[in-house]
Amino acid sequence: MHPQLAWLQATTRRTFLNGSALGLGALALSGLEGRSAEPSADKPLAPRKPHFAAKAKRVIYLHMSGAPPHLDIFDYKPELQKRDGQNCPDEYLKGKRFAFTSGVPKLLGTRQPFKQHGKSGVWMSDAIKPLHAVADDVTVIRSMRTDEFNHAPAELLLYTGFARQGRPSLGAWTCYGLGSESENLPGFVVLISNGVQPSGGQGCWGSGFLPSVFQGVQCRSKGEPVLYLSDPPGLDRDTRRMGLDALKDLNELQEKELGHPETRTRISQYELAFRMQMSATEVMDISREPQKVLDAYGAKPGAGTFANNCLLARRLVEQGVRYVQLFDWGWDFHGTNPNEDIRDGLTKKGTTTTQSVAALIQDLKNRDMLKDTLVIWGGEFGRTPFREGRTAGGQVLGRDHYPDVFSLMVAGGGIKGGYTHGASDELGFKVAENEVHVHDLQATLQHCLGFDHTKLTYRFQGRDYRLTDVHGKVVKDILA
Amino acid sequence: MRLPALFALATLGFAPAARAQDAVDFNRDVRPILSNNCFQCHGPDEKTRKAKLRLDTQDGALAASVVPGKPDASELIARVIAPHDDAAAMPPAKSGKRLTAKEVDTLKRWIKGGAKYAAHWAYIKPALPPVPQTKFDTANAVDTFLFARLEQEGLKPQPGADRYALARRVALDLTGLPPTAAEVEAFVSDKAANAYETFVDKMLAKPAYGEHFARFWLDLARYADSAGYADDPLRTIWKYRDYVIESFNANKRFDAFTIEQLAGDLMPNATVAQQIATAFHRNTMTNSEGGTNDEEFRNVAVVDRVNTTYLVWMGTSMACAQCHTHKYDPITQIEYFRSYAFFNNTADADRPDESPKLEFWSDKQREQKADLEARIADLEAQLKGRKPDEAKPERDALAGLKKQLAALKPDTSVPVMKELTGAQRRKTRLQYRGNFLDLGDEVTEGTPAALHAFPKDAPKTRLEFAKWLVSSENPLTARVIANRFWEQIFGTGIVRTSEEFGIQGELPSHFELLDWLAVDFQRDWDVKRFLKLLVMSNAYRQSAKVTPELFERDPENRLLARGPRVRLTAEMVRDQALSAAGLLSPKMLGPSVRPQQPNLGVSAAFGGSIDWQTSAGEDKFRRGVYTQWRRSNPYPSMSTFDAPNRDTCVVRRARTNTPLQALVTMNDPVYIEAAQALARRTIAHGGKTTEERAAFALQACLVRPTTQAEVSRLVKLYDDAKAKFTKDAAKAAQFATAPLGPLPKGVEAADAAAWTVVANVILNLDEMLLKR
Repeated sequence: MHPQLAWLQATTRRTFLNGSALGLGALALSGLEGRSAEPSADKPLAPRKPHFAAKAKRVIYLHMSGAPPHLDIFDYKPELQKRDGQNCPDEYLKGKRFAFTSGVPKLLGTRQPFKQHGKSGVWMSDAIKPLHAVADDVTVIRSMRTDEFNHAPAELLLYTGFARQGRPSLGAWTCYGLGSESENLPGFVVLISNGVQPSGGQGCWGSGFLPSVFQGVQCRSKGEPVLYLSDPPGLDRDTRRMGLDALKDLNELQEKELGHPETRTRISQYELAFRMQMSATEVMDISREPQKVLDAYGAKPGAGTFANNCLLARRLVEQGVRYVQLFDWGWDFHGTNPNEDIRDGLTKKGTTTTQSVAALIQDLKNRDMLKDTLVIWGGEFGRTPFREGRTAGGQVLGRDHYPDVFSLMVAGGGIKGGYTHGASDELGFKVAENEVHVHDLQATLQHCLGFDHTKLTYRFQGRDYRLTDVHGKVVKDILA
Repeated sequence: MRLPALFALATLGFAPAARAQDAVDFNRDVRPILSNNCFQCHGPDEKTRKAKLRLDTQDGALAASVVPGKPDASELIARVIAPHDDAAAMPPAKSGKRLTAKEVDTLKRWIKGGAKYAAHWAYIKPALPPVPQTKFDTANAVDTFLFARLEQEGLKPQPGADRYALARRVALDLTGLPPTAAEVEAFVSDKAANAYETFVDKMLAKPAYGEHFARFWLDLARYADSAGYADDPLRTIWKYRDYVIESFNANKRFDAFTIEQLAGDLMPNATVAQQIATAFHRNTMTNSEGGTNDEEFRNVAVVDRVNTTYLVWMGTSMACAQCHTHKYDPITQIEYFRSYAFFNNTADADRPDESPKLEFWSDKQREQKADLEARIADLEAQLKGRKPDEAKPERDALAGLKKQLAALKPDTSVPVMKELTGAQRRKTRLQYRGNFLDLGDEVTEGTPAALHAFPKDAPKTRLEFAKWLVSSENPLTARVIANRFWEQIFGTGIVRTSEEFGIQGELPSHFELLDWLAVDFQRDWDVKRFLKLLVMSNAYRQSAKVTPELFERDPENRLLARGPRVRLTAEMVRDQALSAAGLLSPKMLGPSVRPQQPNLGVSAAFGGSIDWQTSAGEDKFRRGVYTQWRRSNPYPSMSTFDAPNRDTCVVRRARTNTPLQALVTMNDPVYIEAAQALARRTIAHGGKTTEERAAFALQACLVRPTTQAEVSRLVKLYDDAKAKFTKDAAKAAQFATAPLGPLPKGVEAADAAAWTVVANVILNLDEMLLKR
């Protein structure tokens, strides 16, 4: 029988939040035995066991929209520096398409100083100085590969396993599989710095054909944290409560008359909404944090910055939110203006943002949460080892989009610390060893959360769909 | 985790009642087991077929695996009962699948009975089944099928709903709006035997009917006011939306409606409306991001047209066959590209200007244009043969005129389908794994062999393909469309998977009823007549009351032992609130509008700001069907109520019940404005006493007489709120006026604020959000 069946019969009784009495920590005591085949119809976000015991319980995904120039950050290529300014060899251009480059571009060596950091000796450039301190806590994958060289399809492929809109995202799959541990907050929260959406749009946090209860809820660090969360002007909490009491009484009359259980669910949804108005407002208010924490992240109450969002991510997962997705725009280093220069522009962008990333990793570690929280930092593809065509004549140094090899950083939740996986070839054009396709990354993240990626499926239009489509293998080498 | 009882029950589903006791029916009992467990490796797809074994055909099964009459001698049974760790066990252990004892027993009984195969039910042309007998009162054939089944199940229908409940239910189902007080009163006091029919006819005749059913169709057509992808620029295509509204209102025959949308441009002497209709397939997305290959995205659009066409009309998911031969349904990859070939020769090509378009010029513009063109021709004639350095003033004048002509823009335009001719025509080639750069042999137009035949003598054109879809030989279209309308009226389709009638779809809950309806609908393709048939049934007119026992037995109301009661769609929720408040504008058609939405402070990565300037005047209070639909950011309060973004065809909207929805109707300024307007209406027209006013407000929303208990509760709320606002004048003024504006003369702020609290509660009632 279709698993979808259970969903559709319950569509009118679905809940957005887990209305159970289970809070954070209660999961271990709840005596869950075995995994239920499907989320509960009444409480789809109630916590569920994964396929097998797992290290990671939650995810914070930090997406650098636009795609960071990995050759100036993680992937050190001395040979490319040596051949800086030479024509790009023909073998790398044949049969290829680039977003903004045609003809024969010039090879571009990095201008960033590189060194090995931590006891483990992970290569990092000075563009991300703050991360040097956490080098021993992270795995850097230098052999990532994707199929797409434009932002929107590459982001969709990364988050939904498919380059076009319409499939569920990683966060939606995670909540579908695990539920959430928060009673008063969404299970999947999305935070976007300075209001610039990623190219892939809402599809990056959509629920596709999964019930909409699993889609990401965009919260904002500036203004109203959730759409329509605030009471209208002039209506105070007491009067709102009065109204809700009357609503409850009248709905109960209705329930008595027609006997529909959905009325009961609706009553509880209004109560949850009322509670959420308080709890979401509280959790999103970072002014409650000590000054030294704010300083460590570089956060300022009231700002819409990436720093604030990193701190919010920690506050949200602490409250039991299952998956937090951040997007930070400004990494599309084409070289069309000084902010996109792989020298000073990158140092500035890299230093400010990674301060918050390092603070987040350290903060989670201090709270003993890094061990069961996956933290991912990276973009949707890489950037070319040559100078971008359009800007070749100018003063600013930039790189074009590049899907064939790039780097990405993963930490916590069952991932090795101080480890480097895979390598690109001499000039950084191809994966030289241990390729990790984005589908492999997805399979590995799902593995860390306790799922066999081939079995976390959902039947839609006659087919069992999964995040990794028909691909993906777990990268065992990066597991702790 | 212990599953709630409801859930466990639901997984049993509602397989159709067995037609003969204990007999194994291949389609009902056996195929689902084989399809779910075996076809992936032993099905139609040759490329992935393992051990050269296929189980989707009788020949394949008999060749190696099945000995008719002898389950114990059949390898199929040996494999499925082999221990899990046995390498011969099927399905293989790594698939995680395992047959249940009951499924094994079914297979055994099937083999014992001769292992007979049957064609998939939906591929057999529906025939008019005999109408069964039932002891319950019936209004038409719909009831006889439904009630005969209830008898079989030991259930009985509910008595009819009261007239108020029925009036609101049928008005919402047919027009998307509650009835007016006058309409309800006329119906309730109508003593004639056909009072209900009169009311139904009145609803079907309202222009609001077309707006409501257009909304349903526009989800299928993936209509949006933007082009999609990363930039998601606005697109002008609202003439197509108006075509759909007008077609429903004119009660255009469904076969004509089909042919016009798929191939109106190819019809002899195509009218303007028939050309506009072809924008159905211009609703595909256009990618204008830098560096993208137009041919790649043209190809994506053609693929979407093929998939959407089969999904909308035939409930068949062709998408699988784009990359490989279908794993479950008998459709090969070559056949996919044969269908693709029908759509591969239109002039559009993922261009940012959306050409080709049909342009609409006003008479005045046309005159201006003709005048300019004449003057240009004149000057050009004068300048003919003169040297480039001569006649500078004339040359300047000519340049000026040309500039003016270029600046002249039509009133509006609509992208349309236009068939390429002669040397421009494209050849279609098979695409390996669906990759548009990895091409195989040339493929010509044709339809899948498993479906009804394409007429031998008909030319292989898009027009003939459209006719093939609505041909009386087609086993699917009439069933699929009848099921869609049924889903609109009763909440769930007879085939619940209204998007999938193939082998992986669910079986109908009422086989014979669906076939009867399909044959009936196909008779004249008359949509209004068909909808009227459904709402005139006694099953539809039952009370929605349910006992715990019945709910437990049939939580989804698949058997219809009670009246349908489901949540309103996003558009209906909003339109109803505006209507109750007296704010809803009756203005029809025209460019899309921008009602109030929260300032999101976000922008697309490369596009401009997503926020918009709210439309002025009545345009901010138009029906939801006219709201500007931006794919990257659909109107937020409607998407909270499950409105899709319409990137691709949406067959079935979800009907969730979430706290975010509660936040919308409690706090969205649109709903606060509606509450304020309703409060002012109540004060002005609701009578003198608080009781009278509370009853007035409630009745304005629920369109039924109120009870004493309800009124008393609202009076108490009013008194409590009034006491609070009297103490805080500033808050009262704020809550009574923002955003609607200053109060009318003589209205006290505390009074208006307290009634706004009451109105806000009424607009949030469970009864408002559901049909009753």
